[in-house]
Amino acid sequence: MSKRLLAAAVAAVLAVAGCGGSEEASDPNTLKLWHFEGPDSAMGVAWAEAIKQFEASHPGVKVQFEEKGFEQIQKTASMVLNSKDAPDILEYTKGNATAGLLSKQGLLTDISDEVAKRGWDKKLGPGIETTAKYDERGVMGSGKWYGIPNYAEYVMVYYNKTMFDQQGLAEPKTLDELTAAMTKFVAAGITPLALGGAEYPAQQILYQLALTKADRDWVDRYQRYTGDVNFHDNAWVYGAETFAKWLREGYISKDSAGVKAEDMGVAFMQGKHPIMISGSWWYGRVQSQVKDFQWGSVPWPGMTAGSSGNMWVVPKGSKNKQLAYDFIEITMTQPIQDKLRDAGGVAVAPSDTPATDPATLRLNEDFKELSDDDRLAFYPDWPVPGFYDVQVSAVQKLITGQAGPHEVLTELSDYYKENLASVGK
Amino acid sequence: MRRHAVLWSMILLAAAMLVPFVIVALNAVKTPVEYSTGGPLDLPDGVSLDGIIAFWERVDFGEKLWNSVVISGSVAVLAVVVSVFNAYALGIGRVRGRLWILVVFLIANTLPQEALVYPLYFLANEVGLYDTKLAVIIIFTVIQAAFGTYLLTSTLGGFPRELLEAARIDGANKWQTLVRIVVPISRPTLGVLFVFFFIWTWNEFFLPLVLLISNENQTVPVALGVLQGQRMMDATMTSASALLGVIPAIVFFLIFQRALTRGITAGAVK
Repeated sequence: MSKRLLAAAVAAVLAVAGCGGSEEASDPNTLKLWHFEGPDSAMGVAWAEAIKQFEASHPGVKVQFEEKGFEQIQKTASMVLNSKDAPDILEYTKGNATAGLLSKQGLLTDISDEVAKRGWDKKLGPGIETTAKYDERGVMGSGKWYGIPNYAEYVMVYYNKTMFDQQGLAEPKTLDELTAAMTKFVAAGITPLALGGAEYPAQQILYQLALTKADRDWVDRYQRYTGDVNFHDNAWVYGAETFAKWLREGYISKDSAGVKAEDMGVAFMQGKHPIMISGSWWYGRVQSQVKDFQWGSVPWPGMTAGSSGNMWVVPKGSKNKQLAYDFIEITMTQPIQDKLRDAGGVAVAPSDTPATDPATLRLNEDFKELSDDDRLAFYPDWPVPGFYDVQVSAVQKLITGQAGPHEVLTELSDYYKENLASVGK
Repeated sequence: MRRHAVLWSMILLAAAMLVPFVIVALNAVKTPVEYSTGGPLDLPDGVSLDGIIAFWERVDFGEKLWNSVVISGSVAVLAVVVSVFNAYALGIGRVRGRLWILVVFLIANTLPQEALVYPLYFLANEVGLYDTKLAVIIIFTVIQAAFGTYLLTSTLGGFPRELLEAARIDGANKWQTLVRIVVPISRPTLGVLFVFFFIWTWNEFFLPLVLLISNENQTVPVALGVLQGQRMMDATMTSASALLGVIPAIVFFLIFQRALTRGITAGAVK
């Protein structure tokens, strides 16, 4: 009996597997589009609207949208784009190690002509377009256009207004005010700064502190290899030593070495810590999920980690490039950009109608100021491949006290110098 | 008294094993706001199935379930068949150099998948099987059968010679001996292999991630990955998806549990 059942199961299973291939060929009336943003995120909302508008303005054309996981795109992009199953347009991460690498491998379409023709470059500020252009080594900042970002992101200070009021403190606009506020919280028995030492937040804070003593030239040397980088210069030493001081003073808990970014955000949203220094990617979530207290945000004084968001890229093997360009065009129009902004994102193109929600207005106006002053400094782990993990572990050592600030800088310096040779080759 | 001590420590151990599962279930039925204000360990105010329903619809979970069943089922069946053939030749047929053949199988088995992925991608792309379920089925049949061959060969090596002898005297040829004698007698072991192959293939993440790029071909573990954003994770929906992801494996285990226990104790008492 069971044997016959098994045989039937085998037959059924094989029959299904045999005809499971994907048979859709290149169809001039289908735009195959991939992105990895959740349906409730600002980008997800705006792009759903963009797809609707695209289909309305292109009768007969269907958008075949597939939501992908971030990890899947990261791990498989170069393989997918090299096959005949490549999408016509996809969202991809910016930076030398990602979009830069693909452009160098010849897997992305050079869209410089379209950019000039359609005037996309005029809508993007200088700090934003850096991550859309790559030279022949795959280094960002100059050369040809390979992508168009629809949104931006930057690191800022989130603070719990209710707790600040209780201590009689005002909005912390400068580093001195921030330090004074943290001192007051420590005196009241509260650890002021939420931090996730196991992931990106800790290295970003160290970088933020270094940036208070840095300028555009310093950032370019570090991120775009335009000159010598010295990890024991004024800025880096100030960053590492101040970070160590914040630990000594109790602004940051020594236990935060093992805390994940997610738990850092949750701790802030629960009101356990009054301050969090992290990116605008938290904004929409804080806005919708914090109910028990008043909160606010201030831009970081001076230069700040931040850049364009991820970009639309057109694979070399895209079968409908014109449709892909038309889609990008729609995402850059004001209605879509406003939609993205009103859903809690940072829009890149200028708008005539200010946001109605005060927090959203603040987020976007602060960004405009940063962009106009050219204060975006990208992220600390960008310059060399594999730097992220090295930085996480180095800063963790600083938090747990296993290493001093200068040892940490030496560790970063050694890795940077060692791997610089492989960049662009 | 002592018997109770054992009993209690067993209960404690069982409870400890269930804790992660309970936490997942707990967060699966919370709303995101409850999670952000109360943290992962707080009890929810009520049962909210929104996360589970939203996830189901977002990834079309029914389709993913079906894909996983097709792939795992095919692999389990085919890998058992291939293992039996191999092991019959190596364990009972005593092919020359069988030890080295086994060593090669074992080495192949210990290769990390990361090392295999690029060649596999290249081959699949060349023969036009990239992004098809068939590619994954073939690959995992080979991978699982390598282990199955190794295990079955040692089991069949101890197969009672008298039975084979008797079969030959009765005029059975090699094929008849395999189908009528060896397979029925080793059925419990084959059952265990089948169950293991099914569950192992079900849980595979990396190769399906790389080889099945269309959403319509994806398996359950790959679909769960959709929720992990670049910097954001939705903890409640991730829990909901994890819950949905393990339930089929548990159900399958419960159905075939009898086959498992029989197989493990088979041959324990001679």
